[in-house]
Amino acid sequence: MQTLINLINAAVRSGTPLLLATSGEILTEKSGNLNLGVEGIMYMGAIGGLGSAWYFEQAFGSGILAAIVCFVVAFLLGMLGSLIYSILTITLRANQNVTGLTLTIFGTGFAKYFGEHMGNQAGGYVAVSKQTTGIFTYAPFASLADIPVVGPLLFSYNWMVYVAIIFALIMGWFLNRTRKGLMLRSVGEDPATADTAGISVTRYRYGATLIGGGLGGLGGMYMAMVGQNGIWATDCVSGYGWLAIALVIFATWSPLRAIYCAIIFGGLDVMYMYYPIKGLPTQIYIMLPYAVTILVLIFTSMRQSKEHNIPAGTGLNYFREDR
Amino acid sequence: MKKWLAIILSLVMIFSLFAACAPSEDPDPTDAPKTTDPVDEPTEPVDPSGELTLENIKVGFVHITDPSDQGYTYNHNRGTEKMVEVLGLREDQVINKFNIPETSECENALRELVEQGCNIIFATSFGHEQFVLKVAEEHPEVEFCHATGYQAGMSGLDNMHNYFGSIYEARYLSGIAAGLKTESNKLGYVAAQPFAECISGFTGFYLGALSVNPDVTMEVKYTYSWHDPVKEAQMAQALIDSGADVIGQHADSTACATTAQQNGVFHVGYNADMRDAAPDASLTSAVWDWSIYLQFAIETLVAGEEIPTDWSQGLAEGAVDISPLNESIVAEGTAEAIEEARERIVGGWGVFSGPLRNNEGEIVVEEGETFIEPASAPSWEHILEGITVTE
Repeated sequence: MQTLINLINAAVRSGTPLLLATSGEILTEKSGNLNLGVEGIMYMGAIGGLGSAWYFEQAFGSGILAAIVCFVVAFLLGMLGSLIYSILTITLRANQNVTGLTLTIFGTGFAKYFGEHMGNQAGGYVAVSKQTTGIFTYAPFASLADIPVVGPLLFSYNWMVYVAIIFALIMGWFLNRTRKGLMLRSVGEDPATADTAGISVTRYRYGATLIGGGLGGLGGMYMAMVGQNGIWATDCVSGYGWLAIALVIFATWSPLRAIYCAIIFGGLDVMYMYYPIKGLPTQIYIMLPYAVTILVLIFTSMRQSKEHNIPAGTGLNYFREDR
Repeated sequence: MKKWLAIILSLVMIFSLFAACAPSEDPDPTDAPKTTDPVDEPTEPVDPSGELTLENIKVGFVHITDPSDQGYTYNHNRGTEKMVEVLGLREDQVINKFNIPETSECENALRELVEQGCNIIFATSFGHEQFVLKVAEEHPEVEFCHATGYQAGMSGLDNMHNYFGSIYEARYLSGIAAGLKTESNKLGYVAAQPFAECISGFTGFYLGALSVNPDVTMEVKYTYSWHDPVKEAQMAQALIDSGADVIGQHADSTACATTAQQNGVFHVGYNADMRDAAPDASLTSAVWDWSIYLQFAIETLVAGEEIPTDWSQGLAEGAVDISPLNESIVAEGTAEAIEEARERIVGGWGVFSGPLRNNEGEIVVEEGETFIEPASAPSWEHILEGITVTE
């Protein structure tokens, strides 16, 4: 029982950066942009958040302000990454897949370059102080965590976990319950029709991709500030961007489903550490999240449900003159 | 117009990528040693006799990560810096290739180093060995030294050498700190790979803990990667969740230390003093001093002598040691216990002294006997009684 609670706690912890990046990517894909650069964006957010907090601490000292700067800069750097993507694909109509892949390589290199640069400057660890990282690991409901079973399952997490869930809830509400959300979805499904109806395809795609990228940046920041406790480690994102893209498919393009799917995904990712199966090679066990994604892809394509499918216009650039 | 803009922007992205990668090829000038005045010395000294001297030797390095890992590569690179300072080399005599994976990319990196005129090349990761062998065969004029490998002797190549050391001796000492500190009597250990290098390391660590705490047990988990901070943090968390209160590591990043810190438990590191990373958790670390070998190999080469095929030194020679103890948190009596063990090991006592049983109860080292590693690369692969490996 205790192991199960521990596993669920670990699942939520590794699911949180996934949830942030995935809800960002869902918003992006709902607008018709298939951004494969999530990994790069997360790296940019990670180094942006950690680096800004570190430099801010050098200049003004640690504390809540450094944490705010960290949060904001991570979001902005995520937006910067997706801005490059947006200019190339929306304005200049470059191929979305190629641009996304390039962005992954760019963002990874960007983070590693500045990480190494900061490491040389620090002459040792690039370490954000305990006061600042403590703000990110602050658990607002810690007093309720002593309630048996329910306490550790619901109230033992840091505030970023709840914020990630709130973001996903807001996005679910926005996409399904508001007029603007409807317009955004129409842009993703059929940009030509949306354009005819007077909706600015360019503006919606830019807006959604930028905010989506910002959320990806926050996901990366979480991995650096909470996952590595504010110490720069070269591979601190290590493939979670790709997991987030797989998770978009697993959650079938719904931010609300993404909440529990992220926890399941995070759980599948760490399950072999908690429930080793005798005789099953770890290498096979580690494949679980990906195997499940393939199964979900097969089932959704068999069901042919429009609602659970990728928006029809995603992956294609919109040429008004093309009609 | 837009097409052109697209092309230009893509080019900018490509070039900035190169710009981002380029500095990792060379050591940053800010942290390079400033031992010589560039004005006094010609930048490209050419010795007409073609004789190899400390002035014209070129040294190449292939590393699996870069010094930002603050672990294995960082520490090896510190060895390089110390060697450069002691031997008085100029910064253009050392070429570092960082972030070279254990794939054919390693072969390319080695060839580039040969083309750039390196006389001696060090490759520092276990999986680099097959590529080193291949390039060493093609370039008999260049000396190749590979850390942690085991194939130099059987390759029959004169220019291929292995080097490593008895890091398990340092781990034995660090294990004493862990054994005295643990209250749950359960240690956790995050190991990179199920290879002898890791197994002999955690065995040394466990025996050290056992020597001061007869009730101690240990659980080991493998990440199957030398450097994966995310997995290392998750593994450490899983070990802490299963009741371990001191975490040891054979992995390259600080993730285990910071996870221990977040959970209020303790940690014994590897490769670097991690007290800065986890001030309330890091007890000590097992560390290398690679400069001893680097200096030795280069001096031997310049003197025109043969570099030994296999080189190994340990605690007695200073090739391995532990970093300073975190005085505020180590258990009482730790320093004395470690000193006592250090004297024993320096005096010739072997860490793998019998009687030792494996976890199936069979005796693997008889009473009164001692297992001694036959080569620099560790070969100890027995999982001892008291150690659980969960794969």
